Amino acid sequence: MEKQDQQGMVEVVADKIWKFFSSVKLAVVLLIILAVVSVIGTVIQQNQAPEEYLKEYSLTTVQWFETLGFFDLYHTWWFVLLLLLLTANLTICTLERFPHAWKAMRAPLKPLEDDGFKAVPYKKEIMIKGGMEAAETAALRALQGKRYTHQLTKEQGVTHLASQKGAYSRMGVYVTHVSIILIFVGALIGAFFGFKGFLNLPEGEASAVVYLRNEPLWDQIMDGFGISKSPVIHDPRGGVPAMPLGYYVRTDDFEVDYYANAGRPTGMPSEYWSILSVYDLQQQKVLEKRIRVNDPLTHHGITFYQSSYGTIPNATGRIVLNVSQKNSPGPGETVVLMPGTSVYVKSIDRTIKAAGLAPFGMRDAATGQVQYYQARNEELINPTVELEVYRGKSLAYKTQVMKVDSSEPSMPEDYRISYVDYWGARYTGLQVTKDPGVWIVYAGFIMLCVGPLIAFFGSHRKLWVRIQDRKGQAAVLVGGSSNRNRLAFEREFNSIVEAIAK
Amino acid sequence: MESAQLFNFATVAYLVSMVGYISYLAFRNEGIGKVASYVTYAGLVLQTIALAMRWIESYQMGIGRVPLSNLYESLVFFTWSTVLIYLLVEWKYKTRAFGAFVMPVAFLALAFINFAGISTDISPLVPALKSNWLFYHVLISFLGYAAFGVAFAVSMIFLLIDMEDRGPVRDLGIGLGAMAALAVIGYAMAAAGERMKLIFWMGLGVLVLVWFLYLVMRGAKNKPQVYLFWSMCVTLAIGLMVAMGFDIVYLNLTHTLQPGESMKQHLFKASFLSKSLVNVVVAWGLIAGLFWFIWSKGMSLKKLLVQYVPSQEILDDVTYRMIAIGWPLLTGGIITGAVWANSAWGTYWGWDPKETWSLITWFVYAIYLHSRYVRGWKGTQMAVISAVGFLAVIFTYLGVNLVLSGLHSYGGMN
Repeated sequence: MEKQDQQGMVEVVADKIWKFFSSVKLAVVLLIILAVVSVIGTVIQQNQAPEEYLKEYSLTTVQWFETLGFFDLYHTWWFVLLLLLLTANLTICTLERFPHAWKAMRAPLKPLEDDGFKAVPYKKEIMIKGGMEAAETAALRALQGKRYTHQLTKEQGVTHLASQKGAYSRMGVYVTHVSIILIFVGALIGAFFGFKGFLNLPEGEASAVVYLRNEPLWDQIMDGFGISKSPVIHDPRGGVPAMPLGYYVRTDDFEVDYYANAGRPTGMPSEYWSILSVYDLQQQKVLEKRIRVNDPLTHHGITFYQSSYGTIPNATGRIVLNVSQKNSPGPGETVVLMPGTSVYVKSIDRTIKAAGLAPFGMRDAATGQVQYYQARNEELINPTVELEVYRGKSLAYKTQVMKVDSSEPSMPEDYRISYVDYWGARYTGLQVTKDPGVWIVYAGFIMLCVGPLIAFFGSHRKLWVRIQDRKGQAAVLVGGSSNRNRLAFEREFNSIVEAIAK
Repeated sequence: MESAQLFNFATVAYLVSMVGYISYLAFRNEGIGKVASYVTYAGLVLQTIALAMRWIESYQMGIGRVPLSNLYESLVFFTWSTVLIYLLVEWKYKTRAFGAFVMPVAFLALAFINFAGISTDISPLVPALKSNWLFYHVLISFLGYAAFGVAFAVSMIFLLIDMEDRGPVRDLGIGLGAMAALAVIGYAMAAAGERMKLIFWMGLGVLVLVWFLYLVMRGAKNKPQVYLFWSMCVTLAIGLMVAMGFDIVYLNLTHTLQPGESMKQHLFKASFLSKSLVNVVVAWGLIAGLFWFIWSKGMSLKKLLVQYVPSQEILDDVTYRMIAIGWPLLTGGIITGAVWANSAWGTYWGWDPKETWSLITWFVYAIYLHSRYVRGWKGTQMAVISAVGFLAVIFTYLGVNLVLSGLHSYGGMN
């Protein structure tokens, strides 16, 4: 007896929980709560350094906010719980209502009896002189004209036409709801099995790890329970945790193009790109790709996005020059030297010295004079090299070459020296992510685009026509109902009745 | 002929059409209504050509980008979409009654551009914006905003028509008293430091929310409250516009913006946030006066409108239709933004203030749709939710950039 009661209790509670989660009221309340608490995270800047917060708020406020999780609101347990509740609500609402909708969609067309005609919201009776046959043809033509599918039955001298269209539109709301569930599931998969990291990689250097902003939750949990070791390398001194890639990624080259104004670079980047190559652990080159903003590289599920760049403080790179004969079209000879050093170039029998290098020089096209400008953070906006060319030990001439030049640099002898690159003094800033859930999210996105369209612009419309003989004339009774967009249906209903009457 | 000239012609056309639609209501003359419609069509065509030309001009300048990427272009495009959607409604519902409400929005947005001295230069794009997604993302989002804008205008008409009387003057007194009290408390708390200011804003937020909820739940039974809400919305729309215009005039007279300084830092510094107590008091006095004027004259406007606008059932239906168009578009805007962010940064969702506010807007309209479908609500309550939704849209579009900080670049007023 007692056991049965207990079971009854469990059922009652389960039933109550199910009812609670299947209510649309809950959905609306959750949406309101989510909308309201989301505002907080837009007013208080998220994930700033503690010093930044202390500039704006008092210490007690900061402590309160910290406790409530307001500085990383969207990842607090209670915010995630709200999202989970909404998803649970959505799932149970869908499970609760879907079978009815499916039944309503698949329900076979049935002729409508008298009672049915009393219940439908729209009905009208008209008399047609041409008799039963003519009325039937007119009704069929009218229904087909509006793309209704119909079923015709005749019994005891009465013709019944049952027709409908847009039954599929009953699925729109479920497509929409399932899409949101998919997006949530995809996001969870991303959080459990994916990571977000970054890597600042100088030109010419390679790395086998990236630095993490967040560690995959799964690895953390498994590691926490001692089930399996997380691959993440933690720095005992509290540095940024690193994730091994399983291969090397190397920056072969990095370059920025700047918008030019009248042939002079403005310092506003128009495009920046890196040539990345991937080497396996045996140091065999696997692939190479030029990545730029909005065009990343993906290898083994890990994607490298071009996100920033910078000049390495106090680094010395290599100046790459090209020396070519003025009167022969060949590709010329590549010359590499460090700033402040010189190199003997055999083909022209001269020693070239890179006397100086400035990050941002520009030549006045009229006078040929080079002016140097301040570049923030030593950014290489238009690297300019001061060259000294020696014949033996004696200085032959001085000149300047630069990346973007407004006119020809002075080259008094029968060869030309031109600037190619200043390599190795910059790093490329890469955003590195792994997100195995993204395809599920994208599937959700596609469904979320389609679902509301089906739901809002389709409607399940039903029309019934009953044709009876009444003293040589055909009495045509038309009845109709629509689950949505009643005003539009009313117009269609009236036009169908008119079409039959004609 | 340059695009800039054509944009000016379009602005003039919208001015004429605005005057036309208002005169149509005032003089009850079908002829004037027809002329207003034709002028609006002409304005839209001019604006469309101007947008296309601006696109071509950007290529001639060697920049080559879609004309949808700074505040100026987004305002122009917002106007374009609003007029387009309005004309569709006019054609579909065969009524010109909404023109007098929608066209002022379009004209004011364009006038605001000229008045505010927002830069109309075709500036080059930062690399992150160089993506085909830019076009789809902005196009879809702004069509959505425009649909919500029309829904808002129609809801405001609905609410006005819905009022039987404006209620006792006592209500207005209570409303004004509450405003005055809140303003005094607000200034006092803001003066007492950042923490008190924050507490004030949070408290105000909760208060406003409770009021909204009350209006949605009980509004149908307490129409005078809804009328107060209606007057408040209209007052805010006009008042904030004028206050911003005043900021710009004041700024141009006293100060030139330094590089790196934005309009944002000067918002309402000439009125509500002025250092001079006189300015603050005058600004609030004007707002209170405007509020009183709108509240007391609204019923006369209603009497005029009733003869023109379609039945409440149709107004309710138009609002719903616009939201049923706007919501999938907003969804599409959010999704294209997410896909783009993922291709640029590897994160489809980063809880950036703009993203978050678009999601909040999405929630509000989701609430609208669920209340309508599942709970079968109609009329007053729905119009209130639609109005609240559009307040969220405006905040997503402009407020986030003016008040908060984030990734979306076009917010800077210069």
